[in-house]
Amino acid sequence: MKHSTRWLVAVSAIAMSALGTQSAHAAGTSAGTTITNTVTVDYKVGTISQTAKTASNSFKVDRKVNVLVETQDSATVQVTPGQAQVATKFKVTNLSNTTLDFALTAAQLSGTTAKHGGTDNFDVTISGIYVDTNNSGVFDSGDQAVTYLDELAADGNKIVFIVANVPLNLNTGDVAGVTLKATGFEGGGTGSQGSALSETTNADPMAVETVFGDAAGVSDGARDAAHSDGDDYTVLAAALSVAKTSRVVSDPVNGTTSPKAIPGAVIEYCIAVSNGSGSATANTVTVTDPVPANMTYDSTFGIKINGSVASGVCSGGSAGGGYASNTVSGSLSNLTAGDTKTLYFRAVID
Amino acid sequence: MSIRLSLRTALLVGAVTLAANLQAQNAAPLQLHSDVKVDKIVMADGQTKHVLSDPEVVVPGDRLLFRTQYRNTGGQEVTDFVVTNPLPNGVALDPAAKAPAQVSIDGGVSWGGLESLKVVDTATGSQRPAQVGDVTHVRWVLRSVKPGETGEVSFNAIVR
Repeated sequence: MKHSTRWLVAVSAIAMSALGTQSAHAAGTSAGTTITNTVTVDYKVGTISQTAKTASNSFKVDRKVNVLVETQDSATVQVTPGQAQVATKFKVTNLSNTTLDFALTAAQLSGTTAKHGGTDNFDVTISGIYVDTNNSGVFDSGDQAVTYLDELAADGNKIVFIVANVPLNLNTGDVAGVTLKATGFEGGGTGSQGSALSETTNADPMAVETVFGDAAGVSDGARDAAHSDGDDYTVLAAALSVAKTSRVVSDPVNGTTSPKAIPGAVIEYCIAVSNGSGSATANTVTVTDPVPANMTYDSTFGIKINGSVASGVCSGGSAGGGYASNTVSGSLSNLTAGDTKTLYFRAVID
Repeated sequence: MSIRLSLRTALLVGAVTLAANLQAQNAAPLQLHSDVKVDKIVMADGQTKHVLSDPEVVVPGDRLLFRTQYRNTGGQEVTDFVVTNPLPNGVALDPAAKAPAQVSIDGGVSWGGLESLKVVDTATGSQRPAQVGDVTHVRWVLRSVKPGETGEVSFNAIVR
């Protein structure tokens, strides 16, 4: 008796020192499993072996509801203003020891710090939650819109996307934070979302109880049968700026030496389009410029596009663009971040 | 004569003090009682404390304490007393607790301290030290249990 008591104390001390080092368990033993412990004692009286004695006890493993939602985007999802159907990616894992349904809800942050560090300052338009039906790992046309995950087995997981449209008129660095929450429901049957779960207590070790064992998520508390995680969209817009300058090339009196803007003088208009550093590449940049009144477009010179500019004077480039209805227009090549391209033409003062 | 008398006295005293928490004895000179408790560690007054409760609510990851109480209700000394406890399915020894002195990883064929046992890795064919998860049985060997003597053996486990 003395000996065993001392031994028990030793065990307790060691168990205490290891507090907090418990390894994480996945779903584990299925709910409803009966665990029966049977001990057998062999012994002798005198020198004669006696019939072995046994003793046993049983209990049932209860139902632990636990779910994990994790974003699968290691960095923010970069979007351009007006971009449609952009997905943020999540994984929902059923850590419960039983099959459950999981209701999915997407929400937006309002001004708080988003998952990847930025501060939320706009809302996207969430068009739906999709499950990666074809297991491609990316959101595509093979994926189905869902409101819940049906019959997710213990330890099973699904890739889920929040799909959203991005409004126009946003600036580079603007952030929209979103959250995905998965809430456990009874498995019920295939094809329909089961009923809500609640914790139960019953003094009978052989009854199967329901215990919520989930951790707190970004938008839900611990032990509420739900878990959530965040993700975010960050805008990378083109930051275009336009500068228009003009110079007198020649006049009928002075020629090209110190020409003045007198009737008959040739004026060159230089339009420079610049994209800010750190911006998205601007595609299909079109420049249109009406020729001012009392001036005549110089068709001999034509229009030069994709040239460069120095001190307000355009140079280089190639012939392009067009002139119609008293208006000059032309399309520039793609403007990468920090890039400047020009369109320039000449007109004669009437 | 005087020896027998003192033994009987000891037995009587033992029976009176232990009758309250042990079940009725039967013909065998040995009485066993096994139970399982949920072993929760709680913080109280800045100290950690073990709280044992009945296994009303048990979920994977919970820590359990399996206990076996024994009592020699006979008049003779019991020797070579071996308590053998196969680990139930769904239960593993608690890696954070001290394993019983004798464990088996091969279904109770061979026994030894956990640190002395080796497992052959089926993938590589090489040997590795046994882990608590490999243990299939635990046992305790007592040389003798005197008449009236009572005691308890126990081990910590976790629900897989």
